[in-house]
Amino acid sequence: MSGTIELRDVAHAFRARNGEPLQALDGVDLTVPGGGIVALIGPNGSGKSTLLRVAAGLLAPARGEILLDGARVTGPDPRIGLVFQEPRLLPWRSAADNITYPLELAGWPRERRDQRLGELLELVGLDTDATGARPAELSGGQQQRAALARSLALQPDVLLLDEPFSALDALTRERFDLELLSLWERTAPTIVLVTHSIPEAIVVADRVVVLTARPGRVAADIPVDLPRPRSLASMDEAAVSRTARLIRSHLGEETEASNAEPRPRLAAAS
Amino acid sequence: MKARTILPVVAALVVFVVAWQLAVVLGGLQKSILPPPLLVAERFVEAFADGTIQPHLATTLQEIAVGLTVGAVLGLLAGYVMARSPLAERLLSPYIVAAQAVPILALAPLLAIWFGPGLLSKVVICALIVFFPVAVSTMVGIRTVDPRLLELGRSLRATPRQRLWTIEVPAALPSIFGGLRVGVTLAVIGAIVGEWAGASRGLGVLINLARGSLFDIPLMFATLLTIALVGIALYLVVVLVERRLVGAR
Repeated sequence: MSGTIELRDVAHAFRARNGEPLQALDGVDLTVPGGGIVALIGPNGSGKSTLLRVAAGLLAPARGEILLDGARVTGPDPRIGLVFQEPRLLPWRSAADNITYPLELAGWPRERRDQRLGELLELVGLDTDATGARPAELSGGQQQRAALARSLALQPDVLLLDEPFSALDALTRERFDLELLSLWERTAPTIVLVTHSIPEAIVVADRVVVLTARPGRVAADIPVDLPRPRSLASMDEAAVSRTARLIRSHLGEETEASNAEPRPRLAAAS
Repeated sequence: MKARTILPVVAALVVFVVAWQLAVVLGGLQKSILPPPLLVAERFVEAFADGTIQPHLATTLQEIAVGLTVGAVLGLLAGYVMARSPLAERLLSPYIVAAQAVPILALAPLLAIWFGPGLLSKVVICALIVFFPVAVSTMVGIRTVDPRLLELGRSLRATPRQRLWTIEVPAALPSIFGGLRVGVTLAVIGAIVGEWAGASRGLGVLINLARGSLFDIPLMFATLLTIALVGIALYLVVVLVERRLVGAR
């Protein structure tokens, strides 16, 4: 299956304000098989977003390499779709023109763009009447749906998401997690999801990769042994809390992630 | 336009005209110092009816149009280059600031000698003072484009040209139009100053004629009114274009 992404010994450093190099990532090895879903979780400053930018070809790593289906990624690639933490829509364009923006840049004629727009709206569940509106007129959820549709426009093999639902309220976020799964069932891209939320990681992912605090390294690679398709009601609570405990033990007690998130909602949902 | 938007404008105009009339009556001013509004209005209509103003107006409008275009285009280009290259800003900005800091009134006679009494010297003067606000507002606008949008463009492999037209220009437009609003009014000043420094036709020339050889103070006021209306009209054009391009965000 295509869409296998490999990170090999990836290291990256930033220059801090005082000129000192700040090691963000140090020797990260990670392979996500085609069609697989991996959640990246880690304390603040563990370089999760940096790792995603390196994987997306937006940052050249100081050391190591990224391989997509065995070929080296040297820059932004149309086979890789990226969803940012905030919707990042162009405020002067309508939702529709934002969604088809990648197609426009790629030189698609208007008819084909309009046709693809219809498919994308259906895929992310965005109302057709919302498409003429400017981003400022849309709700946070609609904006993030539009951003998701934009990232899927060129039918990427790999979808990288950087805490995509963190600005949404808890209930909307749960729904988005499940919709992301149903979207994945239909289009089957490889997914790498950066998240702060242990329950989100468990609902969505095949594996949860825990990064250490700065510099980011892989602390643990924890499989989530839950059958698919998953739904909030059908999840095996014992397995969920066992996995959550395991993740938390690797995150450590003092980290942002374990403090910011209450107990897994899934376990408490019964 | 709605009555609600028109009404305050009309009310303000009435207040202005009434105050003017009161100043003339209460101050006991002669019409060679401050002619009453009605007299100016009559002279304004008359000067247009007998074709006194039109040739001067046409000349001035032409100077403004060409000068504004040249100054704005150069300002846009320089502003973009300065925004993208700190070196260019360091090299260019001392000259740009110096050119702006020297009063245009002091430069105009020199420019009239260099570029002659025709259209060219007015275009140069107009362009010179329009350039500064447009260049600065373009520089600021391009420099403050949200870097996250630029990163989005990069992730979608936008070419430099696509980045310019789909991200940078739309993002900088509100700022650029701020500069154009200032620039368009300065263009009017530039044309009049240029005409004073040496010209045979233009609204600035007509003011000098009305004050000097004709000693027709109402005509002078009618010309001033014309200049003011030209400024307002051009400003409105910029605002309308801005509304169309920037629209509701």
